[in-house]
Amino acid sequence: MKPVSLCWIDWKISAKGMLLESAARFFMLFLVAACYVAMLLSGGMNRFLSGQWAVTAILRVSVSVEEGQGIAGKAAELPGVRSAAYKDPETSWKEFLAVYPGLESLRTAGGNPLPGYVDIRMRPDRFTEADIRAVEASLRPLPQVESLLSGGEVLSRLLRLKVWVNGFFWAGFGLLCAVVFLALFLQEKTRASLLSMDFGFLEGRGIPAARIAFSRVLGAVLTGALLSLAAAGAVVSCFFILEERLAVIGRVIGPAGEMLTPPFLLPLGLFLLASPLLHGVASLLGWRAAHAGRK
Amino acid sequence: MIEAFRVGAAFSKGTLWDGLDLAFDDGEVCVVTGPPASGKTLLLRILRGERRPDAGDVVVGGESLYRGDPGPGKAFRASSGFVPESFSPTACRTVRDLFRLSAVAVPGVSARERMEREEELLALVGMPGSQGGGLSCLSVSERARVALAVELVRSPRVLFTDMLLMNAGREWTDMLGGLFRALAREGKTIIMAERTISERWNTMEGGQGITRGPFRLFRLPVATEALR
Repeated sequence: MKPVSLCWIDWKISAKGMLLESAARFFMLFLVAACYVAMLLSGGMNRFLSGQWAVTAILRVSVSVEEGQGIAGKAAELPGVRSAAYKDPETSWKEFLAVYPGLESLRTAGGNPLPGYVDIRMRPDRFTEADIRAVEASLRPLPQVESLLSGGEVLSRLLRLKVWVNGFFWAGFGLLCAVVFLALFLQEKTRASLLSMDFGFLEGRGIPAARIAFSRVLGAVLTGALLSLAAAGAVVSCFFILEERLAVIGRVIGPAGEMLTPPFLLPLGLFLLASPLLHGVASLLGWRAAHAGRK
Repeated sequence: MIEAFRVGAAFSKGTLWDGLDLAFDDGEVCVVTGPPASGKTLLLRILRGERRPDAGDVVVGGESLYRGDPGPGKAFRASSGFVPESFSPTACRTVRDLFRLSAVAVPGVSARERMEREEELLALVGMPGSQGGGLSCLSVSERARVALAVELVRSPRVLFTDMLLMNAGREWTDMLGGLFRALAREGKTIIMAERTISERWNTMEGGQGITRGPFRLFRLPVATEALR
């Protein structure tokens, strides 16, 4: 006769407790998934800085609008560049007046004194010193380019700070994962202790302890997979909904649409694989700890 | 058939008993009696394949429970039932939970079938409709009878009971005797451990039983004619 599957043994003998535990696990996984998705999309400080920081190529006064647009087009094709926009001298003048109002008199002397420029923004994942220097090296030889502004010494310090801040963010995420794993382990240990008499009952009726333990691990892996999938789905949906209502989400964390691209789906797949495995490990360790306490 | 050959058990201060030879045929109701701390529970555990004896061996259906392949031991434990002397259920468990747990060890029993058998068996042990009751609220007698019903739901080939008659109480002795004889007629073996045998039970060995170490072994007549 086919042996009874013990995968869902905990659900069979403690359904209410499992329901409460699963709800708690869902919220923990939701929190982890939300942090992970936010870290992946934003790259820590990368998205914010790449939105604020620009490489500016100041063009010579003699450069025509067509030449300026041509240079912007070439700059946009450089590796690591997210966008490159040409600003003609008139736009440049308007921006100047917006920052320094009351200086209209400067123009009366001999027309617009400001040249046009190309505003270059880096991709968040390529916001590194090497990539910025590579963009500078590509533009500097052009005869139309008068000078390049990219922050100089300040940029180096800012990028070093960014590395530290990103490291701090990832360390925080690692700590969160460790805390969640500890919570999973304690849940498993407590449940294995509470149900130890029930498991003893089954062991006394010819079901080996190893079979119960490994069936529970399999059950934990399957439960973990379902909860992780649900949590990841909820997080992705929440980002799409929130992005429509809060524009700051898109600016600081990133556009939700990017979550459906392969570079994002791969690490999300890793999360969906790792989370059930950690559930299984927590179940096994919890069982062993509960049994060690019983001896 | 269950046979114990030259079985011995030791404890930290010496030998509890040694050289016991016992045999239990299929379809028998046997009562092993002995004084307190004589090792009755230990003997049941050894006969069930739960605890390796310090000497000798136990053979069931021609296969050793303790030597070589552990498969026969596991299979025997799976097909036998055990009503323990002290029954300490997990807190907040109900009678129904215990049946559900017992059914986990039984392949091929549907939930509906299990519930029907639950009702029948609880009625049989004098506790109809008690499925929703908490185990911690039951008396010693009620717990013993529930534990018996829970074992019977799995239809064990061999049933071991430890102090069941004493825990269930005198008023249940005749009913349990009748139940065990009926089970024996179906080919099941019942092995009971008790301090003394009920004076109301006729045994094949008379009032003295067969002496085996510190124990006395009694066999109850099973055939309907024998009861007349």
